[in-house]
Amino acid sequence: MSHTKELTKGIFKENPVFIIMLGMCPTLGVTTQVFNAIGMGAGVIFVLLCSNIIISLLRKVIPDSIRIPSYIVIIASFVTIVEMVMHAYVPAVYSALGVYLPLIVVNCIILGRAEAFANKNTVLDSALDAIGMGVGFTLSLILIAAIREILGAGQITLINLSESARVIISIPGLKDSPIRVMTLAAGALLVMGYLKALFNWMGDRKAKRG
Amino acid sequence: MKQYLKIALILFAICAVAAALLAVVNAVTAPQIAANALKETSAALMDISGGYDLGEKREGDGNVNYVITLVENKEIKGYVLELTSNGYGGPITLVASYKTDGELIGAKMMANSETPGLGKKSEESWYMAQFVGFGATAPIPTSKNDLADPSLVSGATVTFTGVSGALKNGSEYVKSLGGK
Repeated sequence: MSHTKELTKGIFKENPVFIIMLGMCPTLGVTTQVFNAIGMGAGVIFVLLCSNIIISLLRKVIPDSIRIPSYIVIIASFVTIVEMVMHAYVPAVYSALGVYLPLIVVNCIILGRAEAFANKNTVLDSALDAIGMGVGFTLSLILIAAIREILGAGQITLINLSESARVIISIPGLKDSPIRVMTLAAGALLVMGYLKALFNWMGDRKAKRG
Repeated sequence: MKQYLKIALILFAICAVAAALLAVVNAVTAPQIAANALKETSAALMDISGGYDLGEKREGDGNVNYVITLVENKEIKGYVLELTSNGYGGPITLVASYKTDGELIGAKMMANSETPGLGKKSEESWYMAQFVGFGATAPIPTSKNDLADPSLVSGATVTFTGVSGALKNGSEYVKSLGGK
């Protein structure tokens, strides 16, 4: 597979959320606001990139029998570093992401890519794979969050760092009488289900044509 | 046997490097995190002091962590309380200021792990404004139906119950102090 393919496959063909169905917990959990989706996505891209590079570098050093504990130690270290740095220098983002930040450790995408890709491929391909998968994950989160926030709250929150630093686009009509269930947990499952159906349908159509 | 030793050694090396790295990052960020928390607390205290000066700090008891008197011309006009309660995502901490008769002047959500987009809304100023002015003659609203607009807190009832319960306890605690 060419290098560009490694980069772009995560966005549609092997989209981690809609096709591989990895990392469902943060996907359903943080997508109440577009801003949360962007923050979560940025965290995942960083951790995924670092862990994929390190694991790819160490793929000949780490024996097969202890690969899972080694990956978990590496991933958990990067997540803790991200958490401490964010807490110290961007406390607003840290508090907005709340409990989801430490949950990146158990995000299946990161361990999944380490296990399925980084331990078999070169550093360059692993880094490209991480960026592609991370961007695909982020875009999927933003898509779900945008649908949920527009329908459920009648607005799009692009930046929400503090009460003075905030960019919120209001949608007239929906703002006053939103479909509130969309911002609740049930709304996440509904949107996810419909989008998965849409992706399946598009995949089927493509397969029939090809 | 030799094989196992080798494997254990590799895992040990990975863990040692990770631990060292984390120790360095922690050493760099810990003072900044502590400074942030201190700045946040003092800014919050100034915000809700209602124009009075902050007086002496006392130990609280039960769900009240500490009490700071609010003074004007050396006379106690009210109190700032740090209160703890339980939200949806675990323990929550808030600071609240009261007049001596138990009326809420202002409140602010501090440390919490509430759900972004739902319970996290309690960090915003309008959330606490719903309780301001209550506590003396009219009790602090502890049911969503007592609010002017219950839909504002809908979807985060556990957070609301935690916050309103803490504010009500604070009001009763202030009344028990009797202006001293």
